[in-house]
Amino acid sequence: MTSLPILVSRCDSCTLRYLPRAGPCPRCGATTPLPLAIPPWGVVIAATELTSPAEGWPSPHRIALIELAESVRVLAIVDGEMPPNGARVVVVQKDDTYHARLSTATP
Amino acid sequence: MNSHITATGYARFGRRSEPLIELASEAAGAALSAHGRKPIDLLVVANMLSGSINGAENLVSRVANQIGLETAAGVRVEAASASGAAAFHTAVLAVESGVYERVLVVAAEKMTDRPTAEVAAALAHSLHPTEQAVGATMPALSALVSQLYAERYGTGTEVFDQVSRAARAAAQKNPYAQFQKPVTLEEIRSSRMVASPLRLLHCAAISDGAVAVVLERGHGPAGVLGIGQAFEAMALVDRADLTTFAASRGAAERAFALAGCSRRDVQVVEAHDAFAPFLLIDLEDLGFTPAGTAGRWYAESPPPGAPSVNPSGGILGRGHPVGASGLAEIADVARQLLGESGAAQLDPRPRIGLAHSIGGLASHNFVTLLGGPAV
Repeated sequence: MTSLPILVSRCDSCTLRYLPRAGPCPRCGATTPLPLAIPPWGVVIAATELTSPAEGWPSPHRIALIELAESVRVLAIVDGEMPPNGARVVVVQKDDTYHARLSTATP
Repeated sequence: MNSHITATGYARFGRRSEPLIELASEAAGAALSAHGRKPIDLLVVANMLSGSINGAENLVSRVANQIGLETAAGVRVEAASASGAAAFHTAVLAVESGVYERVLVVAAEKMTDRPTAEVAAALAHSLHPTEQAVGATMPALSALVSQLYAERYGTGTEVFDQVSRAARAAAQKNPYAQFQKPVTLEEIRSSRMVASPLRLLHCAAISDGAVAVVLERGHGPAGVLGIGQAFEAMALVDRADLTTFAASRGAAERAFALAGCSRRDVQVVEAHDAFAPFLLIDLEDLGFTPAGTAGRWYAESPPPGAPSVNPSGGILGRGHPVGASGLAEIADVARQLLGESGAAQLDPRPRIGLAHSIGGLASHNFVTLLGGPAV
């Protein structure tokens, strides 16, 4: 897993940083976000393992809520070992989803 | 306000062999019979999943045909797991507008004949697209919220166990509830982990069932005092605080403002406990106890003057046919106010009650205050 920066959006009206998505800023509704690259390391806020995932997903399936730099939060699929809350993870983007893995690298 | 519930009807919740429309018809027939078969001029139907798992759309026509209401107007309402509450609020607006005098609201869902993974995927359609994209389900996101609540307030999972046990105990007195037997704390603690920290018996069941109410212009013991609804960001990553649901707080503020009464006036509450920790968050968001303190109601006891909570068994005990639950919460409060709750009837009979419903992962919530004149 390579450690490429994560591209986020910075609202030029209210300065909120958020993951790029279609539509306006989720806080103020402005429609002119600016691109911003942040490091791919984050801290796990909460994580869980599903034993009854939705159709089309493996069992067990792990997801984590992660806080990245600039207070950007991301919901990611956990690859590999389940990280405890507070653990440092590295996050990568694959198509429209994010994946996280326990990190031992120094940011 | 000038509308009141005059009759309720149920198609028992649980695993049912009948198709969706027959369940809707059973509940509607019970409500109409209880009402004396007076003319209905608007039919409001609530459902969440018929298109995705039952292969049935055009529900209003189907229900109208099945129960012989072709002369009424009709509309279908969908707001995920709050569909039933949204349908009721639509009926209130219709009566309060002065255009309609008598409305039949029917809420129905049929889930148990599809595989759990298929139902989980269908329910996940009510989540934000970025959450669906990583395979999040309703229990998964609820587990994250529950973890954060437990961490922030030091609420142990043994409190969640107590919530589930209380729900199943209460449901024994509700003949329309899915679960008619109590569960022990040991059974709850040993039930399989669904999404940590939530075990199977902390989670709502997959259920079939239907409920109906007749709403009529005028006043009575189950009068509409106030309604409120509110939104919150759909995506968890966009929410400032994950240990509270802003949509519940907003809906409650609006309903109480309209009703002109206070939390102290409420004697019975039916709150949306699709997951055991949510009931604690609900009681705090609705303003009955400060943030982080609802666990004491179950670990110790409710404070003096606290309302009775979920005497029907709530969603954990009643079952959760998702599109029907929001109306069941309202109907169960109405039955208490009308003195029609049978073995579950509170004594003394409550005069004011609150029904609370959560749509999706609490992105669109509803509060309904019902009550009659002081005696």
